[in-house]
Amino acid sequence: MARAAEMARLRVRRPPRSAPPAVLLLLPSGLFLAAFFLVPYGNMVRMSFLAKAEGAAFANGVTLENYLRILQDAFYWRVIGRTFWLAGLSTVLTLLLGYPVAYAIARAPGPRRPLLLMLLLAPLLVGAVVRSYGWMILLGRVGLINQTLRILGVGEVELMYNTFGVVIGLVHVYLPFMVLALASALEQIPAEVELAARSLGAAPWRTFWRVTWPLSLPGVFSGSMLVFVLALSAYVIPILLGGNNVLVMPILIVQMLLDAFNWPVGSAMAMVLFGLACVVLLVYVKTANRVLRWIGR
Amino acid sequence: MASIQLDGVTKRFGPVVAVRGLSLQVREGELLTLLGPSGCGKTTTLRLLAGFLTPEEGRIFFGELDVTRLAPEHRNVGIVFQNYALFPHMTVAQNVAFGLEVRGLPGREIRSRVREILERVQLRGLEQRYPHQLSGGQQQRVALARALVINPEVLLLDEPLANLDAKLREEMRFYIRHLQQEFRITTIYVTHDQAEAMALADRIALLRDGVLQQVARPEEIYRRPQSKWVADFVGVCNFIPGRVLGQEDGFLVVQTPVGLLRCSGTAGPGRVLVCVRPESLRPQAEGPNRIAGVVRSRTFLGNLLDVRVFCPGEVVLRVQCPLTWDAQPGESLHLAFRAQDAWVVSEEG
Repeated sequence: MARAAEMARLRVRRPPRSAPPAVLLLLPSGLFLAAFFLVPYGNMVRMSFLAKAEGAAFANGVTLENYLRILQDAFYWRVIGRTFWLAGLSTVLTLLLGYPVAYAIARAPGPRRPLLLMLLLAPLLVGAVVRSYGWMILLGRVGLINQTLRILGVGEVELMYNTFGVVIGLVHVYLPFMVLALASALEQIPAEVELAARSLGAAPWRTFWRVTWPLSLPGVFSGSMLVFVLALSAYVIPILLGGNNVLVMPILIVQMLLDAFNWPVGSAMAMVLFGLACVVLLVYVKTANRVLRWIGR
Repeated sequence: MASIQLDGVTKRFGPVVAVRGLSLQVREGELLTLLGPSGCGKTTTLRLLAGFLTPEEGRIFFGELDVTRLAPEHRNVGIVFQNYALFPHMTVAQNVAFGLEVRGLPGREIRSRVREILERVQLRGLEQRYPHQLSGGQQQRVALARALVINPEVLLLDEPLANLDAKLREEMRFYIRHLQQEFRITTIYVTHDQAEAMALADRIALLRDGVLQQVARPEEIYRRPQSKWVADFVGVCNFIPGRVLGQEDGFLVVQTPVGLLRCSGTAGPGRVLVCVRPESLRPQAEGPNRIAGVVRSRTFLGNLLDVRVFCPGEVVLRVQCPLTWDAQPGESLHLAFRAQDAWVVSEEG
């Protein structure tokens, strides 16, 4: 009995084996992604080359017509342009709004930082749908802001069902992601590095441009990429706050799939959006890496 | 180059008083170390001098100039941090050139001054390296070069050697002293390492809980501490409790459990402590200030033997002496010290 206990103790104290190979660690998530991401995506790629059918989602027979229809139609290009423009604009705005917040969080005294992060992430507990409806209450024709303006005698302003409303919604929903990325980069910069610049004669703004900003670029790049991709694929916010006045690709894709019941063209549109996004991101990553290498990071 | 003067400077962080009514003068070209345990306010003092913090009370002067409310970028101060705070995205040359660039100096002058200072700190050839490609000692020298190249009024060093290994730390100690004297620059050096302070400083300022305890030359701090705390903080010290009976031949006569002792000091009558450094005690049969005792234990320190001796009145004395004396536990002996090697402080503090 005592011997068994001794053996158990020894077994517990056996030195830990080295970590299992990376392949094993990646296996569970890899299987999950393969089953629920790669397979449906592959199916969608296949679908985008199938022919359209009367009274059915698709017919058999391989064709390039779906792609040609999209790429040859100026209407689609306008929507694609608008989609990228809105995503880019939202990214720039979240960056401008998020940077000071991230800086404040990164430089907040230790015990206060978790609290600030919690406040930052709290809105994520409420889904994008609910928050969009919240904005509708504020921005709508009989919403809070317009009522106030009417009382003040200013008259009515179109705040919703236009680009303005969509951008407000996108910026609001994706701001926390930007702040998180920026704050984690800014936290890596020791306060002494900025102080050293000050003592060497650099005024605050100069310290920012020469030291803080370049050192925070990794966070700027990762945060921008995250927000851009999210905004590019946003559906709920554009449909609720833009109505049908601000058409973006995700709205068109859903319409094509569900309303027009045209799966092949819908799939092809998704592929086009995906392909263009990949090109933009690739260029972006290359540029970002070149910038980072150039400043020695 | 300028002298530094602090006039009743107080800095609070909420309810905590980090520095309390600090008055201190540093002469032109002098190296003063701010010494004290962590949290004593020495780093806060340095940051007040650099302009990163503003005091609630008191004033700070560089020479004749009141800099109390001057922004850091207008103070012309060179500072070296414990973590060096090099700009990680700039090369060695760019780091050093930074302070000159923001001063708007012409490129040619910047290049020649950077070259010159890198020569002085023996970093030629490493101009195009990034900080992460340098050793700790090299980073340290880049930080020094960056601080010195702007010809600062004063040089502030915040535990600059704390991140180096022991051997290099000792080397850099002499190196910093050498640089400081070569540049003849008024320097304040913050450290918690008393050996470093002793080896480097013209004068040491001892801080405790934001209050200045003593400012004096290293030797004076060590041999003539103003309080028990100072004696205890700097080096090892034996304290023998006693009562001053009077004066004789310029020395105080103190009654203690180990007998009547004659010591230096200025303390008035009443309860006092006699401070005797372990190396001042000698095993001796003859002489004044003789204390009987029994050897309890011995510790080999390499160059010294550290011996604990039990004396009457439950006084335990530490004796450090050369290896020529081979003390054995249980051995009875007499210890003696010279009156000028002992110092009397009052019992409190």
